[in-house]
Amino acid sequence: MTAELELEKFTDVVVSYVDDDGYPMSYSTTARKQNGKLVLEKPTYLKPKKQMTVLLNHITPLPTGGYTDRRYLMMKGEAEILQDRVVFTPRKSYGWDEKTKPFFQYCEENVPQAKSYLRKLSESVGREVKARLPTLQLLFRATRFPFLSATAAPVLIGVGSATYLGYFDFLLFILTIVGASLIHLGLNTANDYFDSKLGADEKNIQPTPFSGGSRIIQYGLLTSRQVATMSALFYAVALVIGLYLAFTRGLIPILTLMALGVFISYAYTAPPFKLAYRGVGEIAVGVGFGPVIVLGSHFVQTQQFTAEAVLASIPIGIFIALILFINEIPDSPYDAAAGKRTLVTRLNKAQVLNIYKILLGIAYALIVASVLLQLASPTALIALITIPRAVKAVKLVDQTYGNPYLMIPALASNIQVATFTGFLHAAGFFAWAVIQLFAR
Amino acid sequence: MDIFNSAEDIMENALVSSLSYLTPAGTVSTHPMLPLYSRERKKLYMTSSILFSKKIEHIKKNPKVGVLFSGRQFIKTQNYSVLHLKGDAKIYEENLHSGWEWLVELWRKKEPYIDGFIRQRLALPLFWERVIIEITPRELYLWKDGDSSKEPLRWRA
Repeated sequence: MTAELELEKFTDVVVSYVDDDGYPMSYSTTARKQNGKLVLEKPTYLKPKKQMTVLLNHITPLPTGGYTDRRYLMMKGEAEILQDRVVFTPRKSYGWDEKTKPFFQYCEENVPQAKSYLRKLSESVGREVKARLPTLQLLFRATRFPFLSATAAPVLIGVGSATYLGYFDFLLFILTIVGASLIHLGLNTANDYFDSKLGADEKNIQPTPFSGGSRIIQYGLLTSRQVATMSALFYAVALVIGLYLAFTRGLIPILTLMALGVFISYAYTAPPFKLAYRGVGEIAVGVGFGPVIVLGSHFVQTQQFTAEAVLASIPIGIFIALILFINEIPDSPYDAAAGKRTLVTRLNKAQVLNIYKILLGIAYALIVASVLLQLASPTALIALITIPRAVKAVKLVDQTYGNPYLMIPALASNIQVATFTGFLHAAGFFAWAVIQLFAR
Repeated sequence: MDIFNSAEDIMENALVSSLSYLTPAGTVSTHPMLPLYSRERKKLYMTSSILFSKKIEHIKKNPKVGVLFSGRQFIKTQNYSVLHLKGDAKIYEENLHSGWEWLVELWRKKEPYIDGFIRQRLALPLFWERVIIEITPRELYLWKDGDSSKEPLRWRA
């Protein structure tokens, strides 16, 4: 155990043992390795016991206050007590080094300990003791609220392409974005409910802020039943808004798109469809966040399906599908273990990266093609300014592939590319409409 | 030399300490912990997330603890001394969610950026469900100038 020990990485060595009065006694000392054992200096007046514990500790104090670079190693074992030193043989050890195990991961690995503690505490006080979050923060986390940008972008593209053609109604726009967002929130919560029920989130011990679900059920912050109720509520309100839009703007087209959207969002993880478990979740999400939302938002404004909207819907569908596709990388070992055979679990790294690059290329090419075909305004080309960022995202994914915590910046970068490009694409349409307004 | 006063100075200024407690197997476990000393209450406080709560379960069974303050770079006092404290611990776990928040004032002196972390409670909800360990000093050992070749100065409650 001592052979691989790097003593020089630690700045303090502490020896502890049970003193005669039954209290732990500790002293600070120096250590060196010798024949697979640790030789620790000892003041002659101290009488340590054979059973002892050695703690190696390090922090780097910061000039601004506080510290960083934390690592420690606790070793338990037996010692041979000599006059001015002890020769320590470690039997077992436990420790943490934040350079090799990020704090986020360290915390996640200890969730079972927290749950065990809460269970025992509940038993001893005779009431259920649960972890808590303030209501707004809890809702924010449970719904994965920031991901709503993935809905806002296609709605804006749908409405933007309608504005480009001369149609815009603010109230209809608000109803569309609220309705679509509620379906997305229903999807996120349904996904947590079913992934928890089917075991995918339980098996994932390396979640990141962008993958592995909200963890709200795993942390005991809400029950599965509460999450299911929340999901049903989101879908119900979305349905009311959808029905209003259908009856006022076009019954069959809107009901068809709405039914398709709700079906995709529900069937994504829910049995018996479990689209995500069958390797078609990415395509379903691409269709749902691309053509379904864009054409729906466009139709609500214009009461027609146009070639402009169809062409504008495909790049954003690809970008949103790529958010999911890349977010699946850190989850893939756990998804595979839970039988969730996402596209990434079926491919190797080179194949995943090739698909990523090709789809990014197609998405940007379609934006250019739509302008060349005069089915989008020249200002839509502003979306291309994210290309350097997309190149950087591909490099980051390549460099950190498979390491959940090192991948966090890559996942964030990929999400930024998708949402920024979507918003810029929409802004291009709106900008042209504004230019035309002033040109008249 | 006022041993207790010197000890208070160390406890107030140390960035880290080594908390030792006994396990049911009779062995000692030692972990680095942030020490928060209240001069007003004459007690040493530590706070542990429920994620790392094994120590809490052991201390509840046997409240005899030891805390060592050592390492020159960890102790921001003018003159360096090493301190070992033997004490009796009491666990406060009635309000895991916010019962520890009164300690933030002491915590901030050691980690000035702590408020920023607390604001991001949402990111690590279980880390911020915390237990308080209150330690009443019973016996102090002070190695003046960190010199362990000489016997330590002692103080008993």
